[in-house]
Amino acid sequence: MKMPPLITRREAITRMGGGLGALGLAASLNAAGGARTHFMPRAKRVIHLFMNGGPFGPDFLDPKPSLTKYAGQRPDGADLRTERPTGGLMPSPFAYAPQGESGLMMSELLPNLARHADDLCVLRSCHTDNPNHGPALLLMNNGTMTERVPSMGSWLSYGLGNENANLPSYVVLCPGRPVRFSILWSSAFLPAQHQGVYINHTNLDAKQMIPWLHNERISATDQRRQLDLMQQLNHAHLAARGGADVALNGRIEAMETAYRMQSAATDAFDVSREPTKVREMYGTGHFANGCLLARRLCERGVRFVQLYYGNGQPWDSHSNHDATSRKLAADIDRPIAALLGDLKQRGMLDDTLVVWGGEFGRTPVTENGNGRDHNPHGFLMWMAGGGAKGGTAYGESDEFGFKAAVNKMHVHDVHATLLHLLGIDHERLTYRYAGRDYRLTDVHGRVPRDVLA
Amino acid sequence: MICQTMRIFVSIATVRRITLRFCWVKAPVFEPCIGFVSLSVPRLVLVLLALVAMPAALAKKPALPPQTPWSFKPLQQAPLPAVKNTAWPQTRIDWFILAKIEAAGLQPSHRTDERTLTRRLSFDLTGLPPAKSEISNLKSQISSLLASPHYGERWARHWLDLARYTDQTPDWLDSTKYAYLYRDWVVRALNEDMPYDQFVIRQLATDYLPESGPQDRVALGFIGLSPSYFKELQLPPSIIKTTVADEWEEHVDAIGRTFLGLTVACARCHDHKSDPITTRDYYALAGVFASVRMTERPTMGDEFWLPVKKAREDVAAMDKQIGELKKKKQPTVEIERKIASIKSGTPHYNMLMANAVEEAALFVVDADNKKGTKLDYKTGMARDLEMQKRGNPNDTGEIVPRQFLSAFSIKGQPRKLVTGSGRLELAHALVEEAAPLTARVIVNRVWKHHFGRGIVDTPSEFGNLGDAPSHPELLDDLTARFIANGWSLKWLHREILNSASWQQSSVAPESERRDPENKLLSRMTRRRLDWESWRDAVLTVTGTLDLQFGGPALSVSDAKNARRSLYSASNRQDMEPMLRIHDVPDPGAHSPWRTETITPLQGLFALNSPFMQQQADSLGAWMQKQPGGFDAVFARLFQRPPTMSEHDALHDFLRDREKDTAAWSQCAQALLAGNEFLFVD
Repeated sequence: MKMPPLITRREAITRMGGGLGALGLAASLNAAGGARTHFMPRAKRVIHLFMNGGPFGPDFLDPKPSLTKYAGQRPDGADLRTERPTGGLMPSPFAYAPQGESGLMMSELLPNLARHADDLCVLRSCHTDNPNHGPALLLMNNGTMTERVPSMGSWLSYGLGNENANLPSYVVLCPGRPVRFSILWSSAFLPAQHQGVYINHTNLDAKQMIPWLHNERISATDQRRQLDLMQQLNHAHLAARGGADVALNGRIEAMETAYRMQSAATDAFDVSREPTKVREMYGTGHFANGCLLARRLCERGVRFVQLYYGNGQPWDSHSNHDATSRKLAADIDRPIAALLGDLKQRGMLDDTLVVWGGEFGRTPVTENGNGRDHNPHGFLMWMAGGGAKGGTAYGESDEFGFKAAVNKMHVHDVHATLLHLLGIDHERLTYRYAGRDYRLTDVHGRVPRDVLA
Repeated sequence: MICQTMRIFVSIATVRRITLRFCWVKAPVFEPCIGFVSLSVPRLVLVLLALVAMPAALAKKPALPPQTPWSFKPLQQAPLPAVKNTAWPQTRIDWFILAKIEAAGLQPSHRTDERTLTRRLSFDLTGLPPAKSEISNLKSQISSLLASPHYGERWARHWLDLARYTDQTPDWLDSTKYAYLYRDWVVRALNEDMPYDQFVIRQLATDYLPESGPQDRVALGFIGLSPSYFKELQLPPSIIKTTVADEWEEHVDAIGRTFLGLTVACARCHDHKSDPITTRDYYALAGVFASVRMTERPTMGDEFWLPVKKAREDVAAMDKQIGELKKKKQPTVEIERKIASIKSGTPHYNMLMANAVEEAALFVVDADNKKGTKLDYKTGMARDLEMQKRGNPNDTGEIVPRQFLSAFSIKGQPRKLVTGSGRLELAHALVEEAAPLTARVIVNRVWKHHFGRGIVDTPSEFGNLGDAPSHPELLDDLTARFIANGWSLKWLHREILNSASWQQSSVAPESERRDPENKLLSRMTRRRLDWESWRDAVLTVTGTLDLQFGGPALSVSDAKNARRSLYSASNRQDMEPMLRIHDVPDPGAHSPWRTETITPLQGLFALNSPFMQQQADSLGAWMQKQPGGFDAVFARLFQRPPTMSEHDALHDFLRDREKDTAAWSQCAQALLAGNEFLFVD
């Protein structure tokens, strides 16, 4: 192994000073066949299924019979402040049954995912700090509510490098634009190659998805000739300057990588190359396409794929909650089940961590009669694969699913756990900026051992 | 479980400040002072300690107070060091540089050729490639480029990175239609060689200066265009106070790092770990920003403004009426006619507005209905802030009067910041009692832009945690003379550019081998053009650059945008991918220096973007018409004739396709996207 990927700030700066950015690091990692981490990683990559807007956990994986018992009432524990005025408790109408060997309780909204019950590690006691979408999205993605710090994916890219030099290490898929947009995948003060590459996959034409991936005006042969001319001049230019300049060399290599990326990325992003059987397994719709794209990208070495469910904040059911939840569940159940099955079949689920959740949850009490308000006090996420302990429900929410109660997991703890599964000590992945060593988890973060397989 | 219990009882969003946010600093030298918050301490113990020690923590001084950084000390002019090769130095700078080179047993590199110097000089001063006519001697080239209006455009870009300039602030603030007035003011100030101390004062407090008029208020954009964070006023004040406190922190941070090269904002939650900046200092400064409000201000005097203000209010009211009438499907012609008549009948109705600040103390209080929050601005008033325990605005202590950093006290007293918000006194403190530091910081920034490396290579960190100066005597000598020369930036450029040090060749194998980071400056560092200079250079050599000055910004992806890159719109919420992949910094935060990356995405842009294709078409068509082979295009791009092998390479590429415009365009693109065009020797 030529170069430890968890580079120190000084190494990073030295390397930047030499002008060699992503390429040198990624290339050497690639050559070395993977990253050197703080300890043995369980996962090599992450797929984050982001239910933007915030789903209500008790509809899916956290049964709350007390909601029916106290329907319409507002007992003591249910009188928490959220963003907007709320009323009495509103039962979740969806029936639960134990699933899998583990007997994990799952609602009728997830009939396909139920087949993977024994792979799911449900975190029932998540909580966050702010009941507004913006700050909560920032906390979930960037580890703080203040803008302008690097996103989780950028930290992963910075810490682990890339497995495939012909693709970006961090890809953000969304059929449209999530609220707060590009701040959520910003590399902030980390070097720019670690920023998320945002892809709106509404249009499935691979050539339209990545900016400047394709040049309509020139054939591959002609472009190769053109690049050969450029490189011939570049090499002469380099030779006249002693031949050792890392920045000049780096740019020569980057141009070659860019050239190869045109076909590599076109291939990676082209779901039409999947067999019909596989397409059918995932189903139709933007989310299904996103799941399939995520698998294709991970298969090719992309480190972090974040898939937003949809444009704006589709899970934000301030009114007509039950119908919305049912419709959205129907849209995600099959694709996610297909994704987990597909990863497993390819032997990738062992080292691919799939994470599901929103920026916060929703209230067990009503808003607008049949809606549910934002809930930062308690919400639910789940993980699967990548060293997460399957068939488990970790932590408890309170009687009504309002507040995290037992074995609480703050967003920082979720981040710490995620990094841990990737072999990274969240306290040691740092970057010096503005006089401080920054971390994804700020000064927080705890890894509950019970969620590790 | 104390941790959990506590979380439940303390309001959300505020709890997490009890432990120190963001401030985990590796500072081995000062380990004794930070053992308390060391992360090796288990979390529970940490929180317990925090709870127990909280009241005492603020008052308690560390056993060893941080030492005064070198950069706070008065400037010391040492005699010129002795050198062996006395023939080499051209300016005082060179004596200091040469002494270190000789001490390391190295030699300076030879002076580079005139062509390279001309190109280097032109990009350094104007961000543009050299014009053909610039073949005169170097001294007169320097003078003429410093007199060029493009000088201000180039150096404004450097400044705007520090000032986190944006053309677009969130929609809950006043319009930023005229944000560009601040950008244009910076360009003008630099072109006029406004003394740097004045430049600082104007941006913080021009409205206090008797010689300054309403049209100068645009200079206040440094604070007037600051980041602002979303505040949901339906939430209780305890949450909103945190957001507001974050904004104050942002402003203190930007001022501290830009002007002083200090991370003052570290002291929000605890005394600074390594520099003599206390929490008290922080709140004494933050009070200034708690006493200003970001707002639009007119660029003309009250005699013009007051009627305009009245007219705009009337029009706004009528617009509302129109909306209501339209809902009821009633005619609006009459009101529209009235509006038109007000607009045409009010002189200067479309008066330009400055994104500025006004004096107003902000209190975050319960809304009148007790259900949410009210931002209560008391116009014309100022306020001192209470100390916040561990940065928690819901847990406050004694009130701290507004004053400047105590480390810069005069006769034991920090300057009081009491007139209005205290902005003017703050500005004066920066360039008077803190002058040695403020001046060292700007001199070093200019130096770093000319050499690619700073004497202090952490340009916004001049505290104990920053890099030590590689040539401290040189920095002091240059800084002292900078102040003596009236804080003139153009003087500083001349001093640097006329030095033998700056005129060295970048091709120096021995120096590269012995000193790869070029700390000794025994050669010139080869530099890559930043995005703006590269794009401007492309537009220049294809003959399409539009050199119009100032005015509203344009989207960089607008195909018709052929203006200098300085005028590309910068949007904090939605940064253009073209800018992001080319290392243009996030305009939401002070950026001391561009982090350079070389990535395949940039390569894709060079190969496939419509911009490059369009530019290649223009250049290709021009090339095709040139008699005499490839000499003309090489002269235009590189100010030299092609070598034999370069000539052959191009010739081979175009063989049998001499009449094919596409082939010429491809050839032109290879030249534009190549390394020689992107790098400066």
